[in-house]
Amino acid sequence: MSEIHNHEHENNTETPTFVSHPEQWTSLEQWSRDPEFLKMAEAEFQSSPLREGSETESGWARREFLKLMGASMALSAAACVRRPVQKIVPYNKMPEEVTLGVSNYYTSTHFDGNQALGVLIKTREGRPLSVEGNPESPFTKGSMSIRSQASILNMYDPERLQGPKKKSGDKFEAAKWEELDETVVAQLKKGSVAVLTGNLASPSTQQVLKDFAQGFGAEVFSFEAVSNDELLAGQKLSYGEAIVPAYHFEKAKMILSIDADFLGTWLTPTVFTKQFAQGRKEISKMSKLVTFESNYTLTGANSDVRFRIKPSQQLSVVLGLAHEIIVVQGKTAFAGQADVKAILTPYANAATQLGVDAEVFKKIAADLIQNKGQSLVVAGGLATQTQWQLALQTAVNFLNSALENEGVTVDGTNSLSSLTATYASITQLIKNMSEGKVKTLIMHKTNPMYTLPVSFGFESALKKVEMVISTTDREDESGVLANYILPDNHALENWGDAELANNVFAIQQPAIRPMFDTRSFQLSLMTWAYLAKVGPARIQEFETYYDYLRDFWKREIYPKHSSLFSTFDSFWDQLLQKGFVGTAKSISARKFKSESLKLISESKVSASEMELVLYPTAQIGDGLLSNVSWIHELPDPVTKITWDNYASVSLATAQKLKLKQANVVEIEVAGQKLELPVHIQPGMHDDVVAVAVGYGRTKAGKIANGVGQNAYVFLAQNNALPVFSGQPVKVTKTSKKYKLACTQDHHSMNDGYNKTPRPLALEVTLKDYEKSASAGIHKHHIWSIWSSHQYNGHKWGMAIDLNSCTGCSACVVACQSENNVPVVGKTYMLQGREMHWIRIDRYYQGSPENPTAVFQPVMCQHCDNAPCETVCPVAATVHNSEGLNDMAYNRCVGTRYCANNCPYKVRRFNWFNYAAKNEQLTTPKMQMNPDVTVRIRGVMEKCSLCVHRIKEGKNKAKLENRNLKDGEIKTACQTSCPADAIVFGDINDENSAVSQMFHKDPRAYALLEEWHAKPSVRYLTKIRNNGQESAGHDAHGTHKQGEHS
Amino acid sequence: MHQRFFSWLAKTSLVMSLLVLANCSKFQPGIGYNKGYSPEQPIPFDHSLHVGTNNIQCQYCHNQVERSRHSNIPALSTCMNCHLQVATDKPNIQKLMAAYQSGGTIEWVRVHMLPDHVQFNHAAHISKGVNCQTCHGQVETMKQVYQFSDLSMGWCVNCHRQPENKAPLNCSTCHH
Repeated sequence: MSEIHNHEHENNTETPTFVSHPEQWTSLEQWSRDPEFLKMAEAEFQSSPLREGSETESGWARREFLKLMGASMALSAAACVRRPVQKIVPYNKMPEEVTLGVSNYYTSTHFDGNQALGVLIKTREGRPLSVEGNPESPFTKGSMSIRSQASILNMYDPERLQGPKKKSGDKFEAAKWEELDETVVAQLKKGSVAVLTGNLASPSTQQVLKDFAQGFGAEVFSFEAVSNDELLAGQKLSYGEAIVPAYHFEKAKMILSIDADFLGTWLTPTVFTKQFAQGRKEISKMSKLVTFESNYTLTGANSDVRFRIKPSQQLSVVLGLAHEIIVVQGKTAFAGQADVKAILTPYANAATQLGVDAEVFKKIAADLIQNKGQSLVVAGGLATQTQWQLALQTAVNFLNSALENEGVTVDGTNSLSSLTATYASITQLIKNMSEGKVKTLIMHKTNPMYTLPVSFGFESALKKVEMVISTTDREDESGVLANYILPDNHALENWGDAELANNVFAIQQPAIRPMFDTRSFQLSLMTWAYLAKVGPARIQEFETYYDYLRDFWKREIYPKHSSLFSTFDSFWDQLLQKGFVGTAKSISARKFKSESLKLISESKVSASEMELVLYPTAQIGDGLLSNVSWIHELPDPVTKITWDNYASVSLATAQKLKLKQANVVEIEVAGQKLELPVHIQPGMHDDVVAVAVGYGRTKAGKIANGVGQNAYVFLAQNNALPVFSGQPVKVTKTSKKYKLACTQDHHSMNDGYNKTPRPLALEVTLKDYEKSASAGIHKHHIWSIWSSHQYNGHKWGMAIDLNSCTGCSACVVACQSENNVPVVGKTYMLQGREMHWIRIDRYYQGSPENPTAVFQPVMCQHCDNAPCETVCPVAATVHNSEGLNDMAYNRCVGTRYCANNCPYKVRRFNWFNYAAKNEQLTTPKMQMNPDVTVRIRGVMEKCSLCVHRIKEGKNKAKLENRNLKDGEIKTACQTSCPADAIVFGDINDENSAVSQMFHKDPRAYALLEEWHAKPSVRYLTKIRNNGQESAGHDAHGTHKQGEHS
Repeated sequence: MHQRFFSWLAKTSLVMSLLVLANCSKFQPGIGYNKGYSPEQPIPFDHSLHVGTNNIQCQYCHNQVERSRHSNIPALSTCMNCHLQVATDKPNIQKLMAAYQSGGTIEWVRVHMLPDHVQFNHAAHISKGVNCQTCHGQVETMKQVYQFSDLSMGWCVNCHRQPENKAPLNCSTCHH
């Protein structure tokens, strides 16, 4: 693909037939030049109070009103009312570590059920403001995920329970801890206690649980809705131990993923994104990613070559390749083994069955052989939790072992040892409960009433339990069935720890005292053991969980590191400062148990006409952190739809079933029905319907309740393994319609009707790049009659490497958290009024059957010749001596001319008084960053390149009497980026990283250079390693799978 | 319907603003500013005694001013450094002592206040060598602190504009 303007398409008539399709497109509407789309793309603002209705009476009335108000406001401004009296309330004793107005950072850990991240909690005067990455943390180096950053809002959620509750009748009433403890202990003494938890990353919590279980004879069960059953069971079969291995994508030159969305949702996506980006930083040696997937995931979108399959074809892919490698090519240690050959022979024609060009298939096998010991095959996640999941895992393990990846890129040594939750465990618990073997059930960090379908019988079994105790922070779906809700502290209020990998431990520090009358789960268990005088001494003798934790570390972890420290205290101090201790061990390969291959020939794969795929989204995950507005407001990284889940189908399927976008369909799986809006997703397999889980909460709170539908109802079970995908599904069109709030066509930089849209996110293939490093970049001859600005001091700039960016959207949440960006809700999302200062444009390329995608984060480009500045009638947006485009909110009168004139569409108008609304709630406003003005209604706002951080950095250097160092100032988006795609710095400093990228990197280009706005942001071309050369404009021909332009 | 409501609202606000204008109070140096504002404090803390007579440095109490954007109001424990011994018989000191010992605090009335959209940094100015008195006036002579400067944008910019001050004049210097 190259950036040549295609003028022959310029004079299209208005009939939006499929005459000429753009090379890069954001939606099927744009691709097909849908008139509705074109109308929307041309309009600057999709909705305007002036455009609503015609020039009727009300229109007139509004203007008359403004005129009169103008007069009266001028007068009231002259009135001299002393502003409201404010009080200053000093500390009684100044805490040593607090400097008013200066942030303190505390190392801590965030665990979302699957992934533990080392974080820094930014606090101001004892109030947590944001969760940022800990740059020291061993695996993530400061990277953040969407939910780790959004978790802070969960703490400030006004709907959290403010104290313990006991049930009386149908309702809960407030209770006292002492009184509850007495009742609970009396009950616990009766025995038959069960504890149900989610995955617990914390080794000390596990120890508390063990001690508690020992004391009361309790049984511990662990269950996670998005579990890793397939990996645990598969690893056990192939290597003998049920573990979740670690993976090393950075060491893999060739990555093959079968429905494992490792960049978006699978296992530890933030770690994987970091590794994956690392493996592609040096372009001449960049890795290659080939995906076969049934849903269009972030991983598929980022892959070099992508194939669409349905779940029933997953096994054929792996074994087909294994056949090619082992039987046909005769490579690897397994070649020539008759039993292996017998198992693989049925898959000799896999390529044909999959509809993949045999040559292309051979090439993938050849790539895997060539990179033996440096490749990686992964399959996992809900899309692979099918009836044949064990066979698939065995096949994948077999292929990895055959290719000698085991012990190199697959790491059983540093396994993720905290991920132990299984469906077998909860099945056993339900069995025990229904047999009356459980008298008391304690539920912690789990919500089975929401995540399990009725068929599991959890609710009916629960009725046989005498006392149910829940530690949930709200009266959620499971909490309402409890007799007592004893709310746990939020992670930001509680001590804790986490095992990041085998033998690497991180600490979790509280950043604030418990805001409400809550008590940590651990302390509850300890208190009960103390009152009943049971269990080992340590669970009884410590008064707080902190003491227990410290003792645990002293006994269990410190001895392994004691050689480096003189005392435990010095060890502890360094731990708190760094946030973690320990290093990963060197990896040793495990031996593959060949006998497990038998399972493959035994298991039956049943293909259906339409197959179901369930998946978690990167933003919502399993749905337990649902009452947080940021994650609903965040556009899905791939579909760009907000505030809903939906049934994704391919274009061909939609045409076959006569479906249009957002028609409501009824989906039926094994008698379970659900009505969902349709989303036509390019790149889906024609026989697949994909639905996200994690939506459809009923008792999470005002934000999450009723958003989407609960797709967990489709969950089935097979031999205690969860079956999420691959089930036959029936799709029936209904007459209903629904609106999906999709942002992908908002803020389009192309006005599209008559012009061929320009490719904005440039992409070339590796072969193109090898020929010319600046391939794909069209340099324009630009001249100006004006002299340009002079920047004598700093000149701030940003460079974004599209080749690293995976579109994960962590930066969007980081920006929202840092800059007090309001949430507008679905209604206004539909009208294009989202407020995000940074958006990630996702462009599809190629035919809608199986397009590739490029992601491009776009924020204010801080142009030297900023078009917005010249049109502002009140000079509210002006140029700054350091190259920033300043926005003075207090000067803005809201004409919106600037947004109109901005070619990059990055300015956001604040339509409503979100600040005042927020002010009414007691707690969420505590999250507001005091360094950034909370904007009022009627002003324009936009990315400031985190000017407050620039100021902070400059002031710090000034106070320390030194020059600024490159990399010292980091923007919020930059700190959160797991791929290190964003670089910020001083362009005037020729040694700075950003300046090198601006001036030296041949891949750097300015967005819409021909406008001569001279932006201060550069993008680096994306390179796709698909072994082909760009064919120019042939983007809409018929494609066989795997052929890309 | 709308028309009637809007014109009613507009007219009402017109009348209201005229009323407010008529009631204008006394210490207004300029419209909307608060130069001269000198509220009574819960304890009549006397700067002229502490700074003037006893020569206590400003930074003894406002100790974070060199490293923070805020000039802090001292914690009660700072007062107690002296007042555990000094003037313990005075009723106001006893009031202070009572608040300190009960773990409470004193709610001072804020004198200097900038609008929310202005970000002022004390440390940056102090490190440049700007005297406290330049903006706050002769605090060492004030029995009851009052606002010496009008703290208007024009007043800020006047100083920033002087070439010898080499101060930035960007909007984002103060507004972000």
